[in-house]
This record gives sequence, structure tokens and C-alpha cells, in this order.
Amino acid sequence: MALADIIKQTSDKGYLYDGGLAGFFCCVYESVYQRELPYGIYAKYSHEPCLLPLKHIYTDISKAGKVRASIPKKISARALQMVENVFLSCLEERELALLRFLLLGYSEGSNITKQWGRAEIAPLLAAERHLWGECHLLQGFVRFSDHQGVLIAVISPKNYVLPYIAGHFINRYSSENFMIYDKTHQAALIYHDRRQDIIPVQDIEFPALAAEEEEYRELWKCFYHTVAIEERANPRCRMTHMPKRYWENMTEMHDLL
Amino acid sequence: MDILEKLTILTEGAKYDAACTSSGAQRPGQKGLGNTLKAGCCHSFSADGRCISLLKVLQTNYCVYDCKYCVNRVSNEVVRAAFTPAELAELTIQFYRRNYIEGLFLSSGVHINPDHTMEQMIKTIELLRYSYNFGGYIHAKTIPGAAPELVQRLGLAADRLSVNIELPSEASLKLLAPHKSKQAILKPMAQIRDGQSENKQDLIKYRHAPHFAAAGQATQMIIGATPESDYQIMKLAFGLYKQYALKRVFYSAYIPAVEDNLLPACDTKPPLLREHRLYQADFLLRQYKFTVDEIISEQTPNFNPYLDPKCNWAINNMQYFPVDVNKACLEELLRVPGIGPVSARRIITSRRHSKLGLPELKRLGVVLKRARYFILAADLPVGLKSDKESALKALLDPTIHSLGVEQLTLFDTTQGEWALPPAVTIDGLGLTATN
Repeated sequence: MALADIIKQTSDKGYLYDGGLAGFFCCVYESVYQRELPYGIYAKYSHEPCLLPLKHIYTDISKAGKVRASIPKKISARALQMVENVFLSCLEERELALLRFLLLGYSEGSNITKQWGRAEIAPLLAAERHLWGECHLLQGFVRFSDHQGVLIAVISPKNYVLPYIAGHFINRYSSENFMIYDKTHQAALIYHDRRQDIIPVQDIEFPALAAEEEEYRELWKCFYHTVAIEERANPRCRMTHMPKRYWENMTEMHDLL
Repeated sequence: MDILEKLTILTEGAKYDAACTSSGAQRPGQKGLGNTLKAGCCHSFSADGRCISLLKVLQTNYCVYDCKYCVNRVSNEVVRAAFTPAELAELTIQFYRRNYIEGLFLSSGVHINPDHTMEQMIKTIELLRYSYNFGGYIHAKTIPGAAPELVQRLGLAADRLSVNIELPSEASLKLLAPHKSKQAILKPMAQIRDGQSENKQDLIKYRHAPHFAAAGQATQMIIGATPESDYQIMKLAFGLYKQYALKRVFYSAYIPAVEDNLLPACDTKPPLLREHRLYQADFLLRQYKFTVDEIISEQTPNFNPYLDPKCNWAINNMQYFPVDVNKACLEELLRVPGIGPVSARRIITSRRHSKLGLPELKRLGVVLKRARYFILAADLPVGLKSDKESALKALLDPTIHSLGVEQLTLFDTTQGEWALPPAVTIDGLGLTATN
């Protein structure tokens, strides 16, 4: 069976994998060599039990490496980039969409990433843009608090943005020590003594705010409210540019929720 | 007076400045704190929907001038305050560390004289740059009438400079801002332009030459306080872009802040729709390769309130349509309503690999509701047989409702003059501002 034909028929098997990118590549390996398209690919941590048969895909680094190397070789470097980005986005059933994309790409070659209007490609690009869009917004919306010289911020993004915004904040605050805690994905970016790391974090509690920190928060809120021109009030416009889901972590918006 | 009080007073005085952009300069972080991004970065949005990117404050709101439209004029009774350079620098740094802002936007009332005022501003900015090693964005207003050496020093420390042109004509300037002359405004503008081109050559010769106003210069004018037409304003803006190499011209709808018989009455609503149309036209000039005379003419010197300028051009120039999306060049695509710079470029890339039909266009981000009347596509080979009326209905700008134009009487009036939103009357001149 040719690779392109795999997509045409969904098998009655689902895949269960460990949730990492290497694990996903092993799912691709399995699909290609078994010549089957699973009805779904699920990460272990998010999967709810169901009646249809599930195959456990064990993560094998050498298989994953082969799949990873095949993407720039048989499709293009951009395709690998897309896979890595979409994998960290919040697209529903992204694993299956990516598998379909790769199978198409293996048979059609590098053109696939430029056919932006195609039904199989457009949602992936949209997911990628959604991720980048959220990163861009968060570059502005992250709010740090000073805890004895260490800057701490909390975010709750839909996409897994930490690896993408890390570079920006490290470049900007290279002489500071800081931490950005992602509540949604239970992970934190830590930058300490010019070393960076993204580590999994369970619920953490932050120490109480110092008086100086409270003071700057008050100053900032005061500036925020004063700079608005009353005669031009336009709450809809504000909400379009700064969606409400970001407000909970923003010093000046928190009280307005 | 404590900092909170000063911040309130000096923000209050600065908030009418339209520009709050932090774009145009790309500087990676260095030893100290901060960097700048080419595209700029919005940190928050205030209740009026405008972006907050910079800490927008005045150095002081003491002012010796008596510009009629300004809240800080000497004859207006407001509480006066001034930041010391050290206070303002510390505040900027602390806000920046917390990622509240992208940098500082410093303007000032004219205290004692222009030179003294500029010196205070320069002290603040140099303190930030050279003592705190601050690498973030700094936008500074130059004060008309200040010495050229001071403008030079300011430009070496700031990323963007701007000189407000204030009003769209010399006559209006004379009437409402008698202390400011066209000459005093244009002179620093020319100096900044020349300083920049000189700096560009220096940077080619010496890699480490200091940057002079790396993000260029901008200006702003007040719309609706004086009787100039949109045509005059666009001509002026176009001239400024060409002659002074400005990065942006900002338009600021006049908000009555003071009572004066030379100004629109205090209960006049700010002409927000008009301001919106001017910005749309401004973008057509800068990013869509239109010329002023294509979008507005002396015969109809004001923009159509019901259609945005691009749609208005398309409706009146149906002979250029339909455009074949599978063949047309970038310039032609950019002129189709519903296709913007992003979707036009996407069309050009993806049509190399397969013919584009309507579903593909939709996925590329084209607004078919408007574009369909003006294009040919793979599955629309002869175009849509459309009458002007149905095209017009699709092009009608939904924002006019939110900006306060009432019921429309559109279809019979589009040919010549259109019904304009309520005109702003200026008592002292017996003129209407939108007519």
C-alpha cells in the first residue's frame, strides 16, 4: 500500500503514547510501518478510557530519531518546524492532524507546506499562528512582581508558550533573576545566575508582597486609569485587543474582573 | 507632593498625545536592563481601547505658552507639578522591570523657556541611558524653539523623536497657538531628518557610531478643532512623509478640554469616525501604494463616512475589476476590498502550487464577503454578476454604528456629496469643520 493510501481508510485501532514529541514520532513510525491510520492518538495523561482497542506505543529513541531525521529529508525543514510548533499548540486532536500531514508530505514532498489554502494544511497553520499570536500578546501581558529581588510572574496560556517566550525575556532581563510559572501546563521557566531551565512544577505558593511592591502596583494602576480618555471610552475595542482570559494575571485588570 | 500625585497630574496632561508606539528599532539586550523590538509591543489597553506601550508622561505641566486647545496652557487653572529627572528615571526602571511598559514617552510643558525644558528632559533620558544602562525604548518630544545642540543630544539618547505639527495649517496655528510658528516646528524636523541620514552614513563607516533617533521621527495633528478638509490634511501628511521622511503621522480627534470662543463648543463629541477614516487613508498611502489623489479629490474633499476609503475607491473604479487572484500582481491584489497585505502575499505564495478557488481564499484569510464582488477565482471564472447596490451593501462599514452615525440614506447619495455626520461648528469663524 502506498503511503498516500494510508490516509484513505481509518483503522479500528487507537494509539496511546507518553505525550512527548519523541513518543509522537514513534506513533508515526508505527503508522507508517503497519500501514494503518489510527482513529485517534492519545497522550496517557489526558486519555479517558474507551471501548475501542488501543495500542500502547512505547517510546523508542532510535525510532523517534529516524522519523525526525526523515522529515527535513523527505519533506522540508519547514515541515519539521511546523510539526514541532503545532505539537505544542492547543489544536484539538493535533497528533492525528499532524500524522495526516506527515503522510501527505512523505508522498507529495516539500510543496505541501506552501499550499496554505488546502483543507489539510490550513488548520495546522492556523494553530501555529494561534501559538505565535499568544506568545506575542504575552510578551506584553506578563506581569512580574518583585519578591526580594527575584521577579515572579504567573501566566495561564492555552498553548505551551514557555519555550517561545523564554528567549525574549532572557534577552530583556539578562541581569535579573526571574521565573514565569505556567499554571495551565504546570511548568515554569526559571532563569537564575544566567542559566535557564523549564521544569515541571506542581502547585506553588508565593510569599506575601513587600510594601514596595504594593506601592509600584498602586502607581501602575493609577497610571493605567488616568491615561484613558473618558470621552473615547470603548470597552469592546479593549476586549478585542486584550481578551478577558488574560486579565486574571494582569495587575491593572485584576480588580475589573 | 508624593509620586502618586505627580504621576496622576502629569499623566493627565500627557494623555491626549495619540502616539504610543514602540516600534522601529531593533536592539538586543546588552549589559544592562532592556531591549527593543522592531515591531514594538503593547503591554496593556486602556478603557478607551488605545494601546499602552510606553509610560506616557510630562516632565512638567508648567507652561509659558497659551495654546487655546491645550489643557496645560498658562491661563488654564490646573494643579501644576514636575518630576525631577531622578524620580522619573527610577519610576521608569521599576515599571520596566515588572514588564508594565516598553519604555518611556517623555513630553513636557514649556517651563521657563524651550532650552531649559529640553535640558530637564535630556537629564532624565541620559540618566536612564548612561547611569541605569537602560536599553528599552525612549520616545521624546522635541520642544519647538530649542537649540539645535539640544535636539542633537536628545536624538543620541532617544529612539524616536517627534515634533508635533499640532494643527493642519499655518492659519490655524496662528489663531490657536500664537506662540508656535510653522518655522519653529519644521526646523527641528529638518534637523532630525538630516541628522538621521548623516548618521546612516556614519554607521556604514564606523560600526560603533552612536545611533541618532534609530526609530525615526513622527508627528501628530489635532483633527476637528479647525476647519481644514480631509483633502488638505491628507495632502499635508503625504508631503510630510515625502519631505521629512516621517515614520508616522498621527491624527488626534479634538476633545474639548477648555472653553474658548475660537474652539468648538465644550459639548462637541470628538470626531472619532473622521479620525478613523484618516488613519485608514494613511495606511493606504504607506502600505497599499495609493496616492492622495486616488483616494480623495478637491471636488469631494471629505471622506465618505459610510465606506472606508479603499472600498470607496473600488466602487468608483469598477473598470479595474474583476481581478483574477490566480494571475494578478501584488499591487492589483492589494486594491481589492477584503484583501490586505498579509492575504495578498499568502495568495502569491500558495497559487504557485495549486489554483485557488473560493474555499482556499477563505482559508488564506481573504474576507469573501467584500472580495467576492471584485475577483475571479478557479471556481468563479467569470466573476460574480453583481450590481453596484449589492456590492455597496457588502462594503458598508460596520464601525460607523459604534462611532455614532445614525440611520443611513446611502444608496441615492453616493454619487456626489454624501450625508455627513453632524458637523462641528466653530462659533468664532462661522465655519463648519467638516464641510
